Amino acid sequence: MTSADGSRHSAALATHPDPADPTPTPGGRLPRRPGPLTVASVVLLLPLAVLAVTTDRFLTLDNARAILASAAFVGITAIGATLVMIVGSAVSLAVSQTATVVAMVFLVTQHLGLLPAVLVALVCGVVLTAVQGAAVGYWDANPIVLTIAAGFAVGAAATWFSGGTPVYPASDAFVVFNRTLLGLPLSVYALLAVTVLAHWLLRRTTAGRQMYLVGENRAAARAAGLPVGRVTVLAWAFFGGCIAVTGIFLASFNTAATVTLGGTLTLDAIAAVLVGGTAIAGGRGSALQTLGGALLISVISDVLLLRGYSTGMQILVKGLLVLVVVIAVHLRTTRGWR
Amino acid sequence: MSRAWLARPERLMPVVSLAVVLAAFVASPLVSGRQLELFDAYNALQGFAQLGLLALAIGITMIAGEFDLSVVGTYALGGMLAVSAGATSPLAGVLAAVAAGAAIGAVQGGLIAGLRIPSMPVTLATYIALLGLTNVLSGGLSVTYPNSDATLWVDKTIAGIFSPRSLVTLGAFLALALLLGGTRLGRELRAIGGDRRASRVTGVRVDRRLVGLFTLSGALAALGGALLAYSYASANPDPGLQPLILAAVAALLGGVSLAGGRGAPLGLLAGALSVALLAQIVVTTALPDYSTQLLYAALLAVIVAIESPGLHRTVDRIRARRADSPRRYPCPKP
Amino acid sequence: MSGSAARPALDRVQVRVEGLARAFNGVPAVRDASFTVGPGEIHGLCGHNGAGKSTVVKMLSGQLTPDHGRIAIGGTPVELPSRQAAQRLGVALVDQELSVVPALTVGENMLLGDIDAPLVNRRRTARARCRQILDGMGLEHIRPDQPVTTLGIGERQLVEIAKALSQNARVVILDEPTATLSDVESAHVFAAIRRVAATGCSIIFVSHRLSEVLDLCDRVTVLRDGSTVATTAAEQLTVDELIVQMLGETPHRLAAVAKPATSQAYALRIEGLSVPGRLVNFDLTARAGRIHALAGQLGSGASDVLRALAGLHPKATGNVRLRDRTVPYRDPVAAARDGIAFVSNDRKTEGLFLDKSVAGNLVATRLPHLGRGGVLRPGREQDAVRSIADLAGLPAGRLREPVRALSGGNQQKVFVARCLGRNDVLALLLDEPTRGVDIGGRAAIHRLLREAADAGLVVIFASTELEELLELGDEIITMRDGRIVRRYQGDADGSALMRDMTHGVDQT
Repeated sequence: MTSADGSRHSAALATHPDPADPTPTPGGRLPRRPGPLTVASVVLLLPLAVLAVTTDRFLTLDNARAILASAAFVGITAIGATLVMIVGSAVSLAVSQTATVVAMVFLVTQHLGLLPAVLVALVCGVVLTAVQGAAVGYWDANPIVLTIAAGFAVGAAATWFSGGTPVYPASDAFVVFNRTLLGLPLSVYALLAVTVLAHWLLRRTTAGRQMYLVGENRAAARAAGLPVGRVTVLAWAFFGGCIAVTGIFLASFNTAATVTLGGTLTLDAIAAVLVGGTAIAGGRGSALQTLGGALLISVISDVLLLRGYSTGMQILVKGLLVLVVVIAVHLRTTRGWR
Repeated sequence: MSRAWLARPERLMPVVSLAVVLAAFVASPLVSGRQLELFDAYNALQGFAQLGLLALAIGITMIAGEFDLSVVGTYALGGMLAVSAGATSPLAGVLAAVAAGAAIGAVQGGLIAGLRIPSMPVTLATYIALLGLTNVLSGGLSVTYPNSDATLWVDKTIAGIFSPRSLVTLGAFLALALLLGGTRLGRELRAIGGDRRASRVTGVRVDRRLVGLFTLSGALAALGGALLAYSYASANPDPGLQPLILAAVAALLGGVSLAGGRGAPLGLLAGALSVALLAQIVVTTALPDYSTQLLYAALLAVIVAIESPGLHRTVDRIRARRADSPRRYPCPKP
Repeated sequence: MSGSAARPALDRVQVRVEGLARAFNGVPAVRDASFTVGPGEIHGLCGHNGAGKSTVVKMLSGQLTPDHGRIAIGGTPVELPSRQAAQRLGVALVDQELSVVPALTVGENMLLGDIDAPLVNRRRTARARCRQILDGMGLEHIRPDQPVTTLGIGERQLVEIAKALSQNARVVILDEPTATLSDVESAHVFAAIRRVAATGCSIIFVSHRLSEVLDLCDRVTVLRDGSTVATTAAEQLTVDELIVQMLGETPHRLAAVAKPATSQAYALRIEGLSVPGRLVNFDLTARAGRIHALAGQLGSGASDVLRALAGLHPKATGNVRLRDRTVPYRDPVAAARDGIAFVSNDRKTEGLFLDKSVAGNLVATRLPHLGRGGVLRPGREQDAVRSIADLAGLPAGRLREPVRALSGGNQQKVFVARCLGRNDVLALLLDEPTRGVDIGGRAAIHRLLREAADAGLVVIFASTELEELLELGDEIITMRDGRIVRRYQGDADGSALMRDMTHGVDQT
């Protein structure tokens, strides 16, 4: 009896970062049977660790800082995208455009003062994204078509807004966002704060837990009378906030905003979420996992960079990594069921 | 054509969008103040050639209820391979590109059908990996294509408005229209997209069809990329997401639904032509760039509204409430 | 009835099923099914829910492979590893679930998956043939190029039947083909079946509607608990005898448990509830403390009553009041807020969150009550889980496991328990509360429902299982074709219910 309890407890510890939580979200694994995900992570991580440790200049404080800093911008958006994926809305293809518009709004409103500018930028990101969430949540709109449409609309707004030329700020109060604290850029602290907030939201609030339920089985959630629409809007609103934070940092970092400021943010964020092991079908995943995914991508890119590989190789490895994790997560979800 | 023929969205959407865009194209001199020339039509068809095969590649996967994001990656790789393998013989370059595209598609199709994984994350991963591969192959820079004869040939004017490139693209649409319209494959594809369980029960070989479909999609995308690279005399390692988005818009305007089960190559043709013509209109009338984007957004918003089940439920609910209100029962039965 | 000249040759055998057995996860669904069908014979396959009919059909049509036993067609033993293999051997199927693809036209559906269909379409021949098939089914008004989405459910079913009958098969299996059809439509189907049988094709006909089985079939095989009970010539059977064969012995009420309503108890009053195409003018006053049972097969409207009340039929009309408040029952969120808890008949796709833990499922619908201001309190949550698990008799050691790992019985317990022990639930609606649940689990769930009623809830459930209806229902309402057949107040017996459900007519 005690031994059985013990093994169960350790299994719970192994699978869930938070054993006090009575909803072990990524559950489904029986004790003592290494799932394909475990195997895949060992196969992937062990060589990486060896490779990393044997790489010259990898184990330095500066390099650690560089890794964290490079993970921050994409990471913040990816944390928000995690909620949207968990709630079952798959992905948004309007991220880059939204971040760009937020960045422009932030720079243009600098004359109001730093805090009002930040608030306006946040509201802008939240509203733009939550409206899309409402269409997905209340109308069951297809998120891909919807976000392509939203991407066009927001992109058009950005072009119209800027007249196609870079937007320059009226004051340079925003440079505080480029400061470093204890050797780390502020964006890293923002990433950590957003992660903690998202984790708390998902695990400790009614809405967060309902996101998992809605994402796993929308029909069941509807039949049970759960507020599917409201929960979906909340997830998207949080996502919008995260995009806005990224936009603010992007604007501060570049000190100007062009139409192409968002760059490849859309797909980079999705890649980080997927590498974290969140399933695109929804209902599982966590903010901590996504943080791990973003860091892992960052570490791999860093190792490849230090070893002299090209950017192309970094992207190639990232793509293969996403592919392997997607397959492993899928096998783990379906095994034991079929 | 009769009203019933037009009532189906896979016909209504492409017919209406092509008609509207054609009307706008013909009317564009009113804004630009310049007569339309044959050259404008040629340019529009060149735009169509650039987008068409990609739209066809993604469109046929959407008909089967899948979404192949990797087509842009295959598109870029196709261009890269054609440029490097086709320096002396352009045909060899095209063949290499098409073979590679087909192989990539077959592997993806095998994964998606065999493991029953949703296609989006798989093709997204492949897209990223292919992007990396083209960057590795090219060193991150555009690769120029030295064979200027081929470059001149693919864009040579034929009959005033066509070029070999646009004719090949048109040919691919027509060939696929014949294949899907004339054989059992067309209805099987739509059945797989419409109701996969029922397709299996009635005896459709779903897995086989999916592998074939992704192979074809990869080959078409690679062909499109190869032709584009010849035309530009260079291959771009990273075309960005824009071609994918435009191809998806063309497919959606062509009457294909992301939910699957709907659409045909001729509809896709109309969708791709609409998008290409629209781009040409913007060029000739010198409208601001964002006006196209706003137009796309509006068109897609209409599609979203038509295809949202929750919106239909809301409408049903309101109707039922209205039907209910006149006859409220005065008191409960004893 | 067919004349003596067209009598099927019952002495010859075209299909032979011998000792067929199949288990799922160690639980046998079919133990020993044996029967033969002659060329030109229409053979009825009857049995109560869970008797194993559908599993036999799946094995015959190549969707499942048997664990034991043999299938022979035309005298040769056959293996049927896939639908294609079965089709090549001449087995056509009308699946229990509608398998017409809405994305295609009628004509395209006719050809879909047909192994004889040519690779290259021959439009004119195909259309002419399709026209002929449709006419033969009395569907002169349907055009082959019409999209299936423009047809009603009944017409779609007819198209599927027409397709199966037109495939020149040696064996046609029809699994509950008439559940969604009107009498006129059924008559067309029967005529078509007789025509096809007259060409020497063997027909296997599965149905819950016993009178139509006796009218149509030459012989009837009855399955009970996965084994063949008997094969009897239809003319030697009556509906009542068939019911006896299906049930073993007719279950009767064990004790008169029907409870009178207490005068203060609140009620759920339903007046004129209708759902277009499914339910016509349903009335019921359900008092708290009593259990109301809706007895009806698929398509009878019993489950639509519950779904409409739970807000899942946006087109529902009528007047529903709970505790003298009007319930806005076209919206599930509002229905839940007003105190209606619904347990659907499909716990996998519309019920549980299978990958979540037992504990997570138990609290899924009561999260707002487990904290303050939207923030959960882990302590309160664990207390809630513990007390509900205790109430429902769920093993305390398995609360952290995913629900998927539990047996069907325990899964259903979790589903029901999710709605219990909450003071915001006033009415409990259950659609097939014990589908796919073993004997022990059934008893436990029945006890839970009785306790819920005793605790002062309105309990309404829909079921097709006689024992369950008789055991639990203080009031039993039989339904067919979207209408009420009869109301019983503790004076029902099994065969009367069965007769109402299978061939009763509206009595109101």
